[in-house]
Amino acid sequence: MSEPSVDRSRFALLPIPKSVALVWLNIVLSLVLAAIGLGVGFAQDRLAAQEVILFTLLLAAVGFVLLNYVAVVFEARGAVGAGEQTEAESGRIRGLWQSNRIMIVAMAGLMILYLLITAGVPEFRSIKNLIAFLVLELILLFAFKVSGYFADGRSAFIGLTVLFALIVISTFSIEGFLSASNIRAILLFAAFLGIASVGQTMVALLGGLDLSIPFVIGSSNIAMLFLVTVGVPSYVAFGFILVLGGIVGLLNGIMSFRLQGQALILTLGTGFAVAGFTQIMTSIGSQYAGNVFGTVPHWLANLAAMNGRFFGLPFPPTIIIWIVIAIVIIVGLKTTAWGRNLYALGGNRRAAALTGISEFKYWVACYVLSGVFAALTGCLLLGWSGGAFIGVGDPYLFTTLAAVVIGGTSLLGGNGGYGFTVIGVLVLQVLTSFLLGIGLQYEWQQFIFGLLILPMVALYGRSPHIRSTV
Amino acid sequence: MAKSSSSSNAYLLVPITLIAVLLSTAVIRGPSLVTPAGIGSAIIVAAPLILATYALMVLAVTGRGTVDLAVGPLLAFINVVVVKLSTAGYLTSPIATFIVAIGLGVLYQLLFALIIIFVRVQPIIVALSGFLALTGINLVILPRPGGSAPAFMMDWGSGTGIFSPVLLILVLATAGWYLFTTTTFYSNLKMMGYDERAAWTSGVKIDIVRIGAHIIAGVYVALGALCYTALISSGDPTQGQNMTLTAVTALVLGGVALSGGRGGATGALMGAVSLWLIGYVLSTFNFGAIQAFMTQMVYGLILVLSLLLTLLVPVISRYVNFISPWSAFLVLALVVVGIMLHVATHGTYSGGEHHLVVEALADRYFLFPPTGSGTGESFALTTTQGLALLVGLAAIAFVAAARLMNADAGSRRMTLFLYVFVAVLVAALFAAAVIQPEFRLFGGGA
Repeated sequence: MSEPSVDRSRFALLPIPKSVALVWLNIVLSLVLAAIGLGVGFAQDRLAAQEVILFTLLLAAVGFVLLNYVAVVFEARGAVGAGEQTEAESGRIRGLWQSNRIMIVAMAGLMILYLLITAGVPEFRSIKNLIAFLVLELILLFAFKVSGYFADGRSAFIGLTVLFALIVISTFSIEGFLSASNIRAILLFAAFLGIASVGQTMVALLGGLDLSIPFVIGSSNIAMLFLVTVGVPSYVAFGFILVLGGIVGLLNGIMSFRLQGQALILTLGTGFAVAGFTQIMTSIGSQYAGNVFGTVPHWLANLAAMNGRFFGLPFPPTIIIWIVIAIVIIVGLKTTAWGRNLYALGGNRRAAALTGISEFKYWVACYVLSGVFAALTGCLLLGWSGGAFIGVGDPYLFTTLAAVVIGGTSLLGGNGGYGFTVIGVLVLQVLTSFLLGIGLQYEWQQFIFGLLILPMVALYGRSPHIRSTV
Repeated sequence: MAKSSSSSNAYLLVPITLIAVLLSTAVIRGPSLVTPAGIGSAIIVAAPLILATYALMVLAVTGRGTVDLAVGPLLAFINVVVVKLSTAGYLTSPIATFIVAIGLGVLYQLLFALIIIFVRVQPIIVALSGFLALTGINLVILPRPGGSAPAFMMDWGSGTGIFSPVLLILVLATAGWYLFTTTTFYSNLKMMGYDERAAWTSGVKIDIVRIGAHIIAGVYVALGALCYTALISSGDPTQGQNMTLTAVTALVLGGVALSGGRGGATGALMGAVSLWLIGYVLSTFNFGAIQAFMTQMVYGLILVLSLLLTLLVPVISRYVNFISPWSAFLVLALVVVGIMLHVATHGTYSGGEHHLVVEALADRYFLFPPTGSGTGESFALTTTQGLALLVGLAAIAFVAAARLMNADAGSRRMTLFLYVFVAVLVAALFAAAVIQPEFRLFGGGA
């Protein structure tokens, strides 16, 4: 399709566009971004100047790389599409309408809705709502038109657009949304959800699902505190819990291998059994059935609590752990043979098996990873809350799945990656923060999450019509 | 024909054996089960689960891995809405209540089907989305358990006798399914579930079939929600998740293929009943504080084991194909009935007192305890109950006759009979409503 040189520059770690003007444009844009960041940082007046400068530099660098990536993608598409500009002049307006009608209808619908509400409700006429409306229209435009340029990263692009728009809307409508403590809270919860969804992503890449994650989280949460209270050294207990999580994953993987269509139900059953078993084990000899009381080890509390410190810096180390895990997994899936084989298996099971990749090993390995990371999340959540509770994993029953789906990893396997899940996790957390900020309770959040999943998936994850599969 | 039916019936061996073992254990450990009150409360407690499993079964047959995880939240949603409306005084007559409940169920399932067909998203994602949305909105409508069920339902859930409106609903729902299996629509549905592309290429209008299946499921969920409302006599927004998990377990236990094309009311019924029996047997053991955890663990283990067993069934049935599931059912049923008779009449002859374990029912895992504990005089029928019983028996006789005729005439279409049957039912409903004073359709016994 396109030349090999284009492909190489698209997937390089540091993409540089060919046109010099674009490079300069990107430098200017990232500097503007950095300046805004600097201003916001100093406006907090609770952060040390060194930290603001450090984060500004980081922001500028990341922004520059991302902008370059976008520019390179556009250049590649432009080179491919240059030959196709010879369509007939007649019927151009009809063609325009034909290719854009969904977008036009959606934008017009949104506009009518906005005008109706504005006409009907006097309190609604504010500059904030106007901005929110314009941003929504822009999202629609971006989602339909620009995302077409990103053939393989379309869902990521839509996710990033939504994320950006959410941040803009929240900043305008919520007091103190960009304050250091709020950002720290968002990142901390994103880190918990992100670590919990590592396994879900891996499993989804193979076309499976793991619903035992919340139960493993809850079980490791109470089991960890139980072991510490009994007198096991906390580091040993921590390692032991991770191993136990791995064993649960191993069982999941082995049992669900022959029942791949029903992995969802099977893991649900395992999760139930594990949660029940752990609660029975921890209630033996205690009169408080199901509740474990004790003190959380100090290092664990520092690891995940909101006021934890990372080598003196004022944020909990869990965020760093998440970032490290994310980088290792993203790079590992892209570059190692193991990662490539995983994608091959997810894409076409039979073809991959014929090239000598062991289906069974990869399937089980993904489930083991899922169990280990769920157990890790459970332990970290213990450090965050300071008390053990079996229900701590319950919100993760479907949010891990939602993060994977919203990010754009196909549940049919072979498409997506952990980078997408990171975007999904951030979208979910920023949205949660936004909904909390405008005063909506947990149940409304759940309702909106439920409604959000469908359109997100419908934008990129539609299955073909049966007509085209025969 | 016989061969294929026996191979699909082989999956029923698991629930049949399980029910026999569990029922004997349950009867021995909790003899109060075989009193009329025991059976009555058992029916009322198990009815919502059975109906929810039917709904899941219909959807699972449609294929594409349609496991409607939202069935529990939907049931709770209908429960909560009905209770809210009746507490506010809008719902008093049974007919209005049925219309509201069934309308809500059908509407949701219709939306579900339309999204699958036109947006073309995987059903599991739609179900997930529905689960989150409904769980959220349930808590918005009714933040905590409370409210009161419509007044005419008050004596449904007492569970003092075997014959209650809940039993009528159950019988009608089951009979309706068997009647449905005689139609061409059902064979199209099975064909679509087994191989959608083949069905499409041979001219089945798969969109219509899918919508129809979802509507049937919606009706079943609505009936389940009404039975649930009658059982707890109030609204409870929190039980949806447990109901989903239990119903999915029952579905798998009943030998319904989650990949589509295989399943029936018999299996779903047996799965749900054996699951309820597990809860009952567990509640007769006194685990003290860890009772709930024990139940949770056993449910999980049973789910996993029954899934693994479905792998083994084809292997087993190759070697033991001389065992017909139905003859096994007959033999085991005789044994269990013998045990039940022994236990039920034991007290009459020995004069000793036996344990009444009705209190332990309260510890049951996810449902509210039935309020009734009386014995005797439950065979006294009011006129309405007699009418209801007659209609139920007539329905069973009709279905049996229809099955026989169908077997006789090969691929004869039963669609006309279905319409006539539904028309008669609706007419009877209206007639009963008009004749009865105060719109008390069911159970007017004061």
